[in-house]
Amino acid sequence: MKKNTKRSSVYLAVVFILLYLPILYLFFYSFNKAGTMNQFQGFTFKHYSALQKDTRLLIIALDTLRVALLSSLAATVIGTLGAIGIYFSRAKRTQRILINLNTILLVSPDVIIGASFLLLFTLIGFRLGFYSVLVSHIAFSIPIVVLMVLPKLEEMNEHMITAGRDLGANQWQVLKEIILPDIRPGVFAGFFMAFTYSIDDFAVSFFVTGNGFATLAVEIYSRARQGVSLEINALSTLLFLVTIGLVLIYYFIQKKQRSKKQPLSLDPTNHEKAVRP
Amino acid sequence: MEKNIVSFTHVEKKYEEEYVLKDITFELKKGKFYTLLGPSGCGKSTILNIIAGFTQPSSGVVVLNGDNAINTPAEKRKVNTVFQDYALFPHMNVFDNVAFGLKLKRISKQQIREKVKTALQLVRLNGFENKETTEMSGGQKQRVAIARAIVNEPDVLLLDEPLSALDLKLRTEMQYELRALQRRLGITFLFVTHDQEEALAMSDEIMVMKNGEIVQTGTPMDIYDEPINRYVADFIGESNIVKGRMLSDYLVSFAGKRFVCVDGGMNTNEKVDVVIRPEDLTVTDADAGQIQITVETQLFRGVHYEIVGLDQSGNEWLIHSTKKTESGKIVGLTFQPEDIHIMRLSETEEDFDERIEQYTTSVNADEKGADFHG
Amino acid sequence: MDKQRKLLSAPYYLWMGLFVVVPVLLMLFQSFRDMDGSFTFLNLKGYFTSPVYLYMTGQSFLYAFLITAMTLFISYPAAYFLTKTKHKQLWLLVLILPTWINILLKAYAFIGILSQSGLVNQLLGVMGVGPQPLLFTRSSFLIVATYIEIPFMLLPLFNALDGIEGSLILASRDLGANEWQTFRSVVYPLSLSGVRSGIQAVFIPSLSLFMLTRLIAGNRVMTLGTAIEQHFLVTKNWGMGSVMGIVLIVIVFVVMGLTRKHQRGGIG
Repeated sequence: MKKNTKRSSVYLAVVFILLYLPILYLFFYSFNKAGTMNQFQGFTFKHYSALQKDTRLLIIALDTLRVALLSSLAATVIGTLGAIGIYFSRAKRTQRILINLNTILLVSPDVIIGASFLLLFTLIGFRLGFYSVLVSHIAFSIPIVVLMVLPKLEEMNEHMITAGRDLGANQWQVLKEIILPDIRPGVFAGFFMAFTYSIDDFAVSFFVTGNGFATLAVEIYSRARQGVSLEINALSTLLFLVTIGLVLIYYFIQKKQRSKKQPLSLDPTNHEKAVRP
Repeated sequence: MEKNIVSFTHVEKKYEEEYVLKDITFELKKGKFYTLLGPSGCGKSTILNIIAGFTQPSSGVVVLNGDNAINTPAEKRKVNTVFQDYALFPHMNVFDNVAFGLKLKRISKQQIREKVKTALQLVRLNGFENKETTEMSGGQKQRVAIARAIVNEPDVLLLDEPLSALDLKLRTEMQYELRALQRRLGITFLFVTHDQEEALAMSDEIMVMKNGEIVQTGTPMDIYDEPINRYVADFIGESNIVKGRMLSDYLVSFAGKRFVCVDGGMNTNEKVDVVIRPEDLTVTDADAGQIQITVETQLFRGVHYEIVGLDQSGNEWLIHSTKKTESGKIVGLTFQPEDIHIMRLSETEEDFDERIEQYTTSVNADEKGADFHG
Repeated sequence: MDKQRKLLSAPYYLWMGLFVVVPVLLMLFQSFRDMDGSFTFLNLKGYFTSPVYLYMTGQSFLYAFLITAMTLFISYPAAYFLTKTKHKQLWLLVLILPTWINILLKAYAFIGILSQSGLVNQLLGVMGVGPQPLLFTRSSFLIVATYIEIPFMLLPLFNALDGIEGSLILASRDLGANEWQTFRSVVYPLSLSGVRSGIQAVFIPSLSLFMLTRLIAGNRVMTLGTAIEQHFLVTKNWGMGSVMGIVLIVIVFVVMGLTRKHQRGGIG
């Protein structure tokens, strides 16, 4: 038993190192005096100050954030309402079809989304730029919101709705006072995932950004094609720190909600079950 | 002397600093039906896990079938478990579930088929071989779980609250069946439950547990009639427990009166708890009764009326009576000396057994004495 | 009351219709148009008779298969061991945290690591092997793609393995199976649903990775995704690009169909 535990820890440690090595490599060289990603010649912050002066990149970063926030908000609203619609659709067959459709959208390749959006925007004469990117990001974020919200709806005790109606709440009040508070963790998770999807996206944006507008990923791509620039390293270090911060905040909020919801898991009477191997 | 299949000697289990089991010592003999009875979290499932080999005790000796079992892994023990949630493999049908253990033993396909068939017959699931377990009702899953365990012919069958998920009617039915099955197979059963009726109905011997300790061990009759303390009396069934005082051997005072009883061996004027079971109380006219009570409430329970009343000293009495009365009425209660059970406030099981042996035999010599000396 | 609910979810259906169904229909329509916009079967015919395109599709398939197999091979033990660690949720988070780093940045990191005088070649130098051309090769593409896809495989595998009731494992041990037998006959079959979702989550994106083929493989690898991007954005041959898009969509449906949950009782 002991030997196995040791072997599995070693394996996990190796996977961990492999996953983090490239990222740390990136960070490490962001402090390199020389302009390359291989010979470390001394410590410097100069790439960070160059980043500070690079107004083009800063504007792009802000634009990316703007797209991410707006698109994830819109996707959360539309996706949550959509999930409620799917959940309440009477015919189970319709429900299953809708859920399958959602899954297919979720796994559909970015290239298809990007290319087909390019077709659409060109056809209706929609100018490529901020709004075309925003619209596409909303579209590909909706399925992930639905995916996060639906299970919460299914977990919900349906008698609560009946009870709410029985106590005199109208349809709108039931939604606002009962359903939404109950599925809030799912909605929150959906928003978070949509936000990270948007920040992370390259392929779709690449098709629909047009000339005057860029997201960070698109900009990094065009810079990386020209070769290594340690400004990108500096930028990625900052981005990663922000991301880690966000993810950790998210994790602890989720954890807090979990323990608030099920204080029983800390109940000593459950001890026997909890410590079973 | 019959053979000990399982024996625990001073077994303890603690998680971090918290004791889950404290100094557990007991023996299980071949072919008997044992029950561990206690509320959830009292450590009864931990005992099961230690016997099955899922958990290691922190200290103490566990002997299975004559061999020290501490280092024997779960799969090498001739012990099988029926889990509370059945734990049927969802990706296998009934046959594959039941045959799981046999297939690992490399016996011929023909033999496996026969054994599975016999096992399914025993639990009355003939012809269910190709059913998916996910399509079955709770009661049927339960039977599959039992068949899966007994087909391996274990020395001990462990049953972890196996009936708790079934409805009342099915549960009662399964109690009969389990008891019959145990008799037929002659395998030692160790049954875990928090339901005293289940324990009383099926067991040869009951071990009542509280906070990681075995408080009392005995036949259902013993435990029902002579609970060692208020906890057992309360747990084992509905009872009236009132405070009293021992005046001398065979004479006790409670509810402001003196009564002849069958217990002794205590100090003069020692404070005690007095237990009288609701069904041992008979309602009569006020002046014919040994105690007078004012009826507070009366509920019709089908088999009997459940009457609650107060005596002059303010003790509450619960009576199961086939005759009805009226609330507000003053009635009398009668009972026999042997219906009065005296419990000392803190007495160990050894002291209790010794005292009982001395003092009950003189009055109830006929059957009980034989039981204790045997 | 149902009307109100339908009204609430109207934006969802509208959005999905306008931005999912319509674009895909447009793509289908476009695949029957030539460069001047008139109706033609030439794109379709061109694709299915061109050895270059068919070879490219096959190659794309092969790479996606290899990437999926490698991620599965690495992630399965990791997910299995993860379920046995003490603070498994936290460790899982740690292992999938790299997902939140932009894929571009990760690819960019590998440009440094695999370059002529990068980390790997320095290590090789220490071992006495001269610098190897690592970047812009097929194997570098496989390595980087595998690296990027690991968390997407790990997560569904972990969820499936973690969802297996502990009592099933105990039951198996109880019935006489040792650890390996328990794994083979209980844990593995019950984790297959996770394997299927993992394959979905990795195989399909691997078919369409187009940026990695440029940055890491130096155009030595052509995937369907690369070809589509090229036809849409470089050569502007939207008709042929759309044909490939439709082919990709069909493949997606086939993969989804093959890895669909079997409707058998309560498990997938």
